[in-house]
Amino acid sequence: MRRYHLVRRADSQLKRTLIYYAAGILISLAIGAVILACLEINPFEYYGRMFTIGLIGNRYGYKSIEGLLKIFVPLLITSLALSLSFKMRFWNIGGEGEFLIGAICASCIAFNSTGMPNFVTVILMCIAAMLSSGIIGIAIAALKVKFNTNETLMTLMINYIMLYVIRYLGDTKAPWNFFLRADSERPIFGSFPESAVMKGIPLGPFTLLWSVLISIILTVIVYVYLKYTKQGYEISVVGDSSATAKYAGMGVGKIVLRTMFISSAMIGLAAALTVSAAGTISDTITNDVGWTGIIVAWLSKLSVPAVFVTAVLISILQYGCQAAATQYPAIDINYADLLQGIILFSVLVADFAANFKIVRKEDAKNA
Amino acid sequence: MLDVFTLFLFNIIVYNIPLLYGTTGEIMIEKSGSLNLGVEGTMAIGAVVGYLAGAKTDSLLVAVLVSFIASGLVGMLFSFLTVTLQANQNVTGLTITTFGVAFYYFIGNALSNSAGGWPSLNGTRLDAQSQSLEIPLLSKIPFFGKAIFSHGILVYLGIVIAVLMWFYFKKTVPGLKLRAIGENPAAADSLGVNVALYKYTHIIIGSGIMGIGGLYMGLNMGGTFEGSNCWINGYGWISIALVIFANWSPAKALLGTLVFGFFNTLRVQNAALAYAFPNALGWLLKIPSHFFSALPFIITLIVLIISSLSSKSRSGEPQAIGRNYYREDR
Repeated sequence: MRRYHLVRRADSQLKRTLIYYAAGILISLAIGAVILACLEINPFEYYGRMFTIGLIGNRYGYKSIEGLLKIFVPLLITSLALSLSFKMRFWNIGGEGEFLIGAICASCIAFNSTGMPNFVTVILMCIAAMLSSGIIGIAIAALKVKFNTNETLMTLMINYIMLYVIRYLGDTKAPWNFFLRADSERPIFGSFPESAVMKGIPLGPFTLLWSVLISIILTVIVYVYLKYTKQGYEISVVGDSSATAKYAGMGVGKIVLRTMFISSAMIGLAAALTVSAAGTISDTITNDVGWTGIIVAWLSKLSVPAVFVTAVLISILQYGCQAAATQYPAIDINYADLLQGIILFSVLVADFAANFKIVRKEDAKNA
Repeated sequence: MLDVFTLFLFNIIVYNIPLLYGTTGEIMIEKSGSLNLGVEGTMAIGAVVGYLAGAKTDSLLVAVLVSFIASGLVGMLFSFLTVTLQANQNVTGLTITTFGVAFYYFIGNALSNSAGGWPSLNGTRLDAQSQSLEIPLLSKIPFFGKAIFSHGILVYLGIVIAVLMWFYFKKTVPGLKLRAIGENPAAADSLGVNVALYKYTHIIIGSGIMGIGGLYMGLNMGGTFEGSNCWINGYGWISIALVIFANWSPAKALLGTLVFGFFNTLRVQNAALAYAFPNALGWLLKIPSHFFSALPFIITLIVLIISSLSSKSRSGEPQAIGRNYYREDR
């Protein structure tokens, strides 16, 4: 007989969860420090440099903020989009693929936009990307609703198919291929004409790109949508139990299709904003947001304000590692991924500790 | 001309073996009702750790054991998080992939930048050239002999594992119990099967098998560390796809890896084939290599759709896959 067993805590206190999470993150950073010490690097100096993302003692500090925001915007929007579908228990792990198809379609417009007004071009790029990504999402949702096709594996396959599509575009020199630079013998992705490059509000030397504002407005919209609208309520009911939703007279299929369209269209939007801000496209344009977004959504327990905070922290982690790499050539961006993995592992443990408790058999009987 | 043909057959086997390890490992895990999306990362860790141990000790046996143990530990982490702590399987698996691939780059780059440098395999017994094991008589068969019976020992080990696993699932009592857990853990539990123990054991063994596949890929890279493109190069994901293609059967996984290996070989060798047979196979040059790379994923997509259209009864998919088992939720 087992003398101890697990009981799910009846209440879930925010304070306790936060304390456990903070402890988990601190332990992960400590493990990271041990790894650094093994490589004979002073962890305090390294972390200091990482968390200040190269701002201190840098005359061009605003460049760091711009670089950070370029990582942050796509990550935030993708994480929000993924948490929408995860809330419904729909495992959209095709963020990478949906991002890539959006990026390709937005670039189709961008490369052919010479002479068009900037505002119109960027809006057209966003619409093209949202439609193309949304169609992929709705197609997979339709298969799930109609035939119960496994959406986890379907979206996974889309990621790789799209990756090879963009690699094909990037490697194939042909008269029809307007994605490549015309003046180069070797196949290289071209730069967008000026009309397709994201503009912003100049604040001294610093430029606040429109995409940053759009992403923040979008966060507020998603928060309101989930919290105060009927559709948002339907999503959480379907996620809790699709049987309950059915008995309550909700059209579960319709909700799944609609939410998946919104979710993947948002990822498409993230892609359009990213290519426009970068002024070009490449097969690494996603910067793995499809994968990191899943981690962000999960770390934040699918809550919108938490997604915002987590996306900020993960962006600092990633950009900070890039910034610190100039001082420490042995430690590159992979350290950020390594640390991200360790953080998620410990937060999963912390999450368990916050939601379950171990009780002895006798106690359980008395309770 | 015959050389091209023999080389083609030879390479099909070289390309399919890591897939076979990854696929059989994942089948073992999925049969216990867990979906582990961390194949890529598990293979990467097994590859780099096993390689380093092998290069240090100059022993293939040590390399295989170490990569099995290293990847087995990753499997233990996965089972601890998902079986004991009830963490979500998709998220845990994806994190293992992120972590494992980053671990590969991190260790590799750190070693390459260190004073000693990355250990090469030159002159060791692990060198790909000296690994090959010609099976007497069989390897002398014209045409096929050299292509099929003159590989490294890890190729044969992979096939043996697949056959043993098929036998284990079909003919033994623990195999039957395992399948029962994958279909309905609550029912298996009520019959006295220790669900957690079975899940732990099989996830660890399955992950260890994947690790050997990763090691095999690492040993085939000529002893250099790939700093820009991971050794595993998406094979972990193809393995997950292959599990579906093979309908969760280790025997069909053998066949499936041959099919996927065929396309993979076509990608590398389509030019050689087209030049050897310009009339019959000249059209191969017109197909972009990216298409062959994407083909495993396209095929799996189609298989997924078709199998969901047809009746569920013949599918080998464990019914409880992806869902954690928590006794008190019954």
